[in-house]
Amino acid sequence: MNSMQLTSPVWVIASKELRDSLRNRWILFMGGMFMMLSLSVTFAGSAVTGELALPPLANLMSSLSTTAVFIIPLAAILLSYDSFVGEQEAGTLLLLLSYPVSRSQILMGKLLGHCLVMFITTSCAFGLTAGLLLVAGSEYSASQVVEAFAKFILSSNLLALTFILIGYIVSLRATEKAKAVAGLLFVWFLLVLIYDLLLLTVLVSDVGFMDKQLLNILIAFNPTDLYRAINLVTLDHHSTGAALSMIADIDLSATAMYLIMFCWIGILLFISQKSFSAKPL
Amino acid sequence: MNTNLNPLCGKPVVRVEHVGLRFGDFEALQDINIDIFQGQTLALLGHNGAGKSSLIKLILGLVKPTSGKLTIFKEHGQSNINLGYLPEDVSFYDKLTGLEVLRYFAALKGINVTRVMQLIEEFELGYAQHKPLKTYSKGMKQRLGVAQAILSHPDILLLDEPTVGLDPQASQFLYQKIDSLKQQGCAVIVCTHELSIVEKHLDSALLLAQGRRVGCGTLNELRQTSGLKSQIKLADFAGTVQRDSYLASFSQGQKLLVDSAERSAVVEYLVQQKQCSDFSVIEPSLESIYHHCMLQQPDRIEQSKVATTQKGWRQSLQQLLRPTVSQSPL
Repeated sequence: MNSMQLTSPVWVIASKELRDSLRNRWILFMGGMFMMLSLSVTFAGSAVTGELALPPLANLMSSLSTTAVFIIPLAAILLSYDSFVGEQEAGTLLLLLSYPVSRSQILMGKLLGHCLVMFITTSCAFGLTAGLLLVAGSEYSASQVVEAFAKFILSSNLLALTFILIGYIVSLRATEKAKAVAGLLFVWFLLVLIYDLLLLTVLVSDVGFMDKQLLNILIAFNPTDLYRAINLVTLDHHSTGAALSMIADIDLSATAMYLIMFCWIGILLFISQKSFSAKPL
Repeated sequence: MNTNLNPLCGKPVVRVEHVGLRFGDFEALQDINIDIFQGQTLALLGHNGAGKSSLIKLILGLVKPTSGKLTIFKEHGQSNINLGYLPEDVSFYDKLTGLEVLRYFAALKGINVTRVMQLIEEFELGYAQHKPLKTYSKGMKQRLGVAQAILSHPDILLLDEPTVGLDPQASQFLYQKIDSLKQQGCAVIVCTHELSIVEKHLDSALLLAQGRRVGCGTLNELRQTSGLKSQIKLADFAGTVQRDSYLASFSQGQKLLVDSAERSAVVEYLVQQKQCSDFSVIEPSLESIYHHCMLQQPDRIEQSKVATTQKGWRQSLQQLLRPTVSQSPL
């Protein structure tokens, strides 16, 4: 990276966000959480069946994505909820805007910083698990493990990115930090728990109006279900649970689902940008 | 009509012409006119919600006026307006060190580290530069805040309540810095409620109430337009003044109340009397002018301006002393 890029306001703001997360031990804490989750699911997940053995890779990735779908949005929300309302309460947002920095640069700087934080934490935690699997699990081929975990880290970061942007939108519209965190927990509850549960209920109950097309639309309308589908569609999903294998039966290719995920990110970025432009000072 | 404040200070850097600002049905500012000059300290005074912060936001370019025109004059060849700003009660980033905070803001303006280190030394923060901001006292944070505001050697410096919550020593330190910046040609706009402190450092003041200008000018101009009287305390006035029946009735330790405009003439007269060599003149304070202006309707202030005529001081003294002289002992 040349010196021009290093002194651009976007990079300056991003590196400040990164330093903030290092200083308040957020990276350490979240990285530790992801690592504990990943290692326990990988190496102790089979204990519930009464044996201690490494599960098939498809099952392992399915279990990891099933647990990560709850924790990654939550982590992204905790990272982003006070990005704007917090700065506004502290008086630094007004100060930043008095600098020769545009609102887009502030938004992109924060986004880049927060994406780096999520990338570092997920890569370290899930990367370590992949490394240990390669050392301990002789039944997996190295290329399979690397490919599965690379896809998992990529999709996890895309999911985190959507929730970071949702966090920004709420943070830009909230008047207090407490209201922002309450609003975001409600969004998390709605998208991660309720929507997902309702979708699985509809799938399992096999109602008449439920055809493939509607299933595709319902999955595409929620980034968390899209994340699940992305992670299941490339696996041998018949080894996963019944309801999950129905999600994996989605008619969309992995590429199409990645594209839909990028559409989500684009739309949320656009809304964030508009919300910031319209924010009264 | 524009009110040109203290034009001797330098070129105008900000011109506010008939500016109004409206948020929905709420009129934050109405018909504000003022010129702000290089090397001038302007105090923005008014109750909470009077429109001071709105005017600051207008100058910063964060909001656009709904009526009128606001011009910020750039130096020849300057692409951007060089502004420094310290918001009210800013708490920066508690986890970062003082040095990191200054370096962050310097990087956003493309300022090098040498300037940061220079300011750290100048604001006596060297011993705490590597400590997180959460360990800083209020005074240290404000010093850091002012250092942040002047990173780029600004042409216009806007300070919103810079000394609130500070001890007298810390306030004095900050105002010394403000005075030195003013001497270097910076136009300083200070928004404050601490009238007794700012009085010693301002060149002019703009008094706002409910978004309207209720007073504007140098301290002397404000004294004159307010109609408030100066106090002349007679410490050793003994005997009688033969030629003036008004002064003859005063005994030692009493005081005269005179119009600010007449004050010099009265003092001269007292000196000529020779029987009264020890006296002190107390001008109306900024605080008393402020309270007076806030109680007045703007049109009443205009009336009082008209009422100040060019009568001879002796005639004014007669008019003033008869109804208003207080003969209470000091």
